[in-house]
This record gives sequence, C-alpha cells and structure tokens, in this order.
Amino acid sequence: MNNNNTSRRHFLVAAITVSGLATATLASSLFRESAAWAKDADKPLSRLARLLFPHGALPNSVYDDVVAGALAMTAGNPAASDLLLSAEKALNAQVVGGDWYAADEQTQLAAMNAVQDEAFFPAARNLFMFALYTHKECWKTIGYPGSSREYGGYLERGFDDIDWLPETAR
Amino acid sequence: MTRVFDQTDSSVVVVIGSGAGGGTVANELAQKGIDVVCLEAGKRLTLADVVNDPPTMDERMGWHDERDGKPVWLCKTVGGTTMRWSGVSPRFEKHETQALSTYDGLEDTCLIDWPLRFEELEHYYDLAEDKMGVSGTHGTPASAENNNYKVLKAGAQQIGYSRITSGRMSINSVARHGRPACRQIGFCNSGCAIGAKWSTLYTEIPAAEKTRHFELRSECMVMAINHDKAGRVSGVVYNDASGTMREQKARAVCVAGNVVETTRILLNSATSKYPTGLANSSDQVGRNYMRHMFGFALAIMPKPVNFHRGARQSGLVYDEQEHNPKRGFAGGYLFETLSLDPLNVAAFVGGWGPDTSQYNDSYTHLAGLFLVGEDPPQAGNRIRLHPDRKDHNGLPVPVLNYTDHANTVAMREHGVTRARAIYESLGAVEFWGGEGPPVGCHNMGVARMSANPEDGVTNGWGQTHDIDNLFVSDGSVIPTSGAANPTLTIVALAIRQADYIAEQMTMRNL
Repeated sequence: MNNNNTSRRHFLVAAITVSGLATATLASSLFRESAAWAKDADKPLSRLARLLFPHGALPNSVYDDVVAGALAMTAGNPAASDLLLSAEKALNAQVVGGDWYAADEQTQLAAMNAVQDEAFFPAARNLFMFALYTHKECWKTIGYPGSSREYGGYLERGFDDIDWLPETAR
Repeated sequence: MTRVFDQTDSSVVVVIGSGAGGGTVANELAQKGIDVVCLEAGKRLTLADVVNDPPTMDERMGWHDERDGKPVWLCKTVGGTTMRWSGVSPRFEKHETQALSTYDGLEDTCLIDWPLRFEELEHYYDLAEDKMGVSGTHGTPASAENNNYKVLKAGAQQIGYSRITSGRMSINSVARHGRPACRQIGFCNSGCAIGAKWSTLYTEIPAAEKTRHFELRSECMVMAINHDKAGRVSGVVYNDASGTMREQKARAVCVAGNVVETTRILLNSATSKYPTGLANSSDQVGRNYMRHMFGFALAIMPKPVNFHRGARQSGLVYDEQEHNPKRGFAGGYLFETLSLDPLNVAAFVGGWGPDTSQYNDSYTHLAGLFLVGEDPPQAGNRIRLHPDRKDHNGLPVPVLNYTDHANTVAMREHGVTRARAIYESLGAVEFWGGEGPPVGCHNMGVARMSANPEDGVTNGWGQTHDIDNLFVSDGSVIPTSGAANPTLTIVALAIRQADYIAEQMTMRNL
C-alpha cells in the first residue's frame, strides 16, 4: 500500500496540485498530436514509463506511445520538455557505469527511488500518467471501454448485473 | 424570438451567472413577469456538444482563468456548474443550519446559525426537488441501483448502517418535464449527453426565454457593478463577446458567479463610497470560504463490479450525517458512490509502481465512494484579490487561502476508516482511502447570510446588508456548510429569493 510512505505521498500529491491539473489541461489539446512523435520514442524514457506504471499485459509499444505523447504535450514549453528529457541523465548518474537503461530492474528501481524528489520526477510521472491512462490500448487491456453514449449507455448493457453480493443486500 | 433589452433600460434585474443560483433566480423572476438580463461569461453549448471525453469537455466548459490557490470546480458555460455536477441532492438537516448552537465550543471557527427558519427552507426544498426532478421525491422512484451502489449498500448494511438510498439524485429516474430518464451512460461530470441530469442550460434558461421577460447574453464577462450617488447599484459593466466594454443599467442586481467570481466582482467594484468593495462594510466579503470535507475511497473487490457502468454518483448513506461528538469531531458526513476513469484512479491513489498500477490492473473489480462532510468556517480561509496580478481581462487575479480545520482532518480519518470497513466486509482485497488530489470542491461562504450585519454580507434572503437592491444568489450565501452537496440548497434559496424580490417590488421597496 502506498499509504505506508507518507512523505512520498505528500510530495506526489503536491506535484499533482501544482502541475498535474495544468498538465491535464495542456495535455488534452496536445496529446492528439502525438502520433508524429511515436517513431522517435526514447527507450530509457519508455522503460521509465513502464516502471512508473507497470502493467504486465501491455506491450512496449504502448509505453513508447506514452513517451511520445508526453513529449508532444511539452512541445511549445521548452522548460517542461527539458525537464522530461533530463530524466535519463539523472537516472544514469545513480547507476555504476552510468547506463540506467542497461541495468537490471532492481538497480533501475533503486535509482528511481533515489531521484523521486527531483523536479523532473513528478513531471514525468504526471505526463506519463496522463498519456498512459488515456491510451485506448491501455483502456482495452484493463477493461475500461471509454465513451458509452454511442452505445446507448449501460441501461441494457450490465449497469446492474452484479451477482456475487450477500443475499441480504439484494 | 427571445426578448432583447436596451442597455439603458434601468427597469431590468441583471443576473450575473446562469448556473444553479443565477439560472434559477432568473427564471423564477421571469416567470413572475419581471424583466431579466442574464450575463454569462461562457458559451452556450447544446447537447450535441456533449461528448464522453472529460478533457475535451473541460476545454469546452471549464473555467481556466488565472487564479492563485487550490483548484476549484468552476464552469464557464451557460448552465455553469450544473453542467458538471453529479446531481446528488440531499437536504441539509435542521441541526446543520444551527451550527453555532449545535457545535458550540468548536475552536478556531466562525460558526453562526442560519438567519432563517428551517421549516421555511423545507418548503423551498420541496419546490426545488420538484423543479429538478430529484429521484425519490414527488412521486418519482429512486434512481436505478447500479453495481457500484449495490456494493456500497451491501457493505454499509454489513457494518450496520441503515439509512441508505439510491434516491435524491437530480437525474431523472423516469421521463419527466420533457427530459428523458437516465440511460446509465456515465460521464455525468462531462455534461449529460441526453439531458437526464438537471442543468439550467436546458431547463431554467429556455423556460425563462419562453416568458419573453428574459434575455441571456452569453460570452459576457462581468468586470464590476456600478452604483449611483445614493449608493444603490445602477448597472453592470461587462466585456461582451466581441471584446467591447458595455454597461447594462439595472433596477437590481443578483450576483451568482460561484463564490470565487462573486467575491471578485464585489471586491473589484470598490469606489470612493465603498472603498473596500460593494456590500463589504463588515469586511466579510470573501471570508468564511468553505469547500466541504472531501475524502475518497477505492477498493479492489474479489469479483467484478464494473463501476464505470452508469451514473457516477448514484446513491448515498446518511448514517454518519448526525452530530455525534463521541466520534471526535463536530458535524457529520455522507458516503456517496463514485466511479473514476483509469486516469483518475491513478491520480487519486497517487504514487507509482505496482502499488499504484494494481488498481488499474483490477479496474473491472473496483468499487469507489466519496466522503463529503461539514467544513466549519474559519477566519483564515478567504478569497482576496491579488494586489498586482491582472488576468487577460484586466481583472485582478483571485487569491484563495484555504486550509483544513482539525475537525475536517478528524472527520476524514473517521470516514476513511468506515469506508474501509464497508468494503472489507465484502472481502475487499486492497483498499485505498484519503484526501486525493484537489480535483474539485463545493464552494460556499464568502457572502454569508447573517442575522447580525457585522457577521456576514447578506440577510436571510441573500439581500446585502449594505445595499438593498444588490443580492447574492449562489452558494456564497450559505452560512455553514453542513454535509449535503450544496446545489439543491442553492436552488431552494434562489427560488425563495425570487419570491422575496417580487414581493419587495410589489411593495415598491425595490
């Protein structure tokens, strides 16, 4: 449970407060332009995205899209894109040999823990979070169908189909 | 077809804002034959503009003007926040309108009792519920029980709660007054695509237009309210859709900008006669800002719930709304169902790594709820104008200062503990509960009703103590927050205010 790490939680909540919502607003207009960036996706950042929000069922291509989307969101905001692109250097600095991407997972996670109070970290987290959890393939994998209006909502499609609750509650 | 009033016509009532308070008071006045010009900063959308995509809808109807402080949940669109709200419509309980008497001794608060009889408010609750089509009232059935509600109900029953309902939603449970019944689309906070949820956009506003006593001017940003030599308000200055500054003359003005903007308009209207702003001789404008105790819980249940199916909020548990100091805090709170999309699941749980992503890995098994409760007014919680910073309209940037009272923190902890018990009684395999990111709030206070003019800004009808033809018509007038989501009360008070304004006009007092 995350609740155990109070200081980390407060820091990250603060990050959402300050930049997350602004990010979401920014992102909503820019994320749709991300396709053009997808081919140049940055592998270490893609790995970072997976370790931040690991979903075993998702292929690497989704995390590549996430990085491309995040970079697209920061287009026109050099300070934000520099912050995001500084992640690799900061992570490399934590690893003997200077190659975070090539390290084993345990070493990669240790490096992430060491830098999570640096400014780039919540920025990357928030941007990747937005890009990942608005990604249609991610939605499909975890079972979230998105828009329902075009299907007439869930009135005839299982809005009340739960069948495992205790008898007293029925 | 709709009426157009001349800007020099000083016989009109100008209503600022078209949401729950403004849209309601405007329509109620128009229905009585009183001419109204309603100024709304946002655009007029249609149901065809509503899509099931929260970021897109936030762009279309959210309020994104510069502001300093915690996020608020304002909308800049015709219908205001009634486009975005979830539709939960509980009443205040009597003891919550007598907060000073009931919670006497709660330190570091500015509690007062409401300056009106609860029995009178009940009458207007009845009218508001009829207007809004609140489910489970006026012969309508409670709302259909969706999966997330069934989990909440079952868990609440398991731990001994009994006051549980899927009623009290301003979402049609049956077709009524030309609007359809809910189709369980979800995405209620992005605007209801079929108009089953009450919003002034497609209820009060068109109803007012039919009277030919009403003109809506959308995309008109109010800058300030003018007054005459005698000190009575005389007109409203606004920046229209073309960027032209205009003044609409007025017989009376009702301000309903949703707390933050209401504060800004009153304070930004300072003159040599009113150097601290309009209606602010008590120095209470902007003070006693309340947002409600908010808390959230998510649980991974042992089997599928699919909580995204259907209305995001679909029922509530009242058992903790009572005032029971033995729990360690004054006032009470409600449990209300809440579903989240994957982005918000991650944002609420916070953190990173498997501890966070496990919730979305189990997305189909999630159940969720929202805790909302009493937030005592505090002297330090207030909205001011930034001394230097101006926004793109040339208006001073609002500055919000707000911190939780210790009572709020204790209440949230209690609520999270009880929420955990609700879900664990049904075998929850993982639980997260807490404050969550400040994504929204219930704005209240800043121009509260008070018996004593020194304690507040308006009397029991929302009429300012200082200026008899200036009214406040939104949640700003709510003296103490109670636990109930405020919209029903805002609408009830707006209907009541319209009755009072009409009566005062008949008596030639206005």
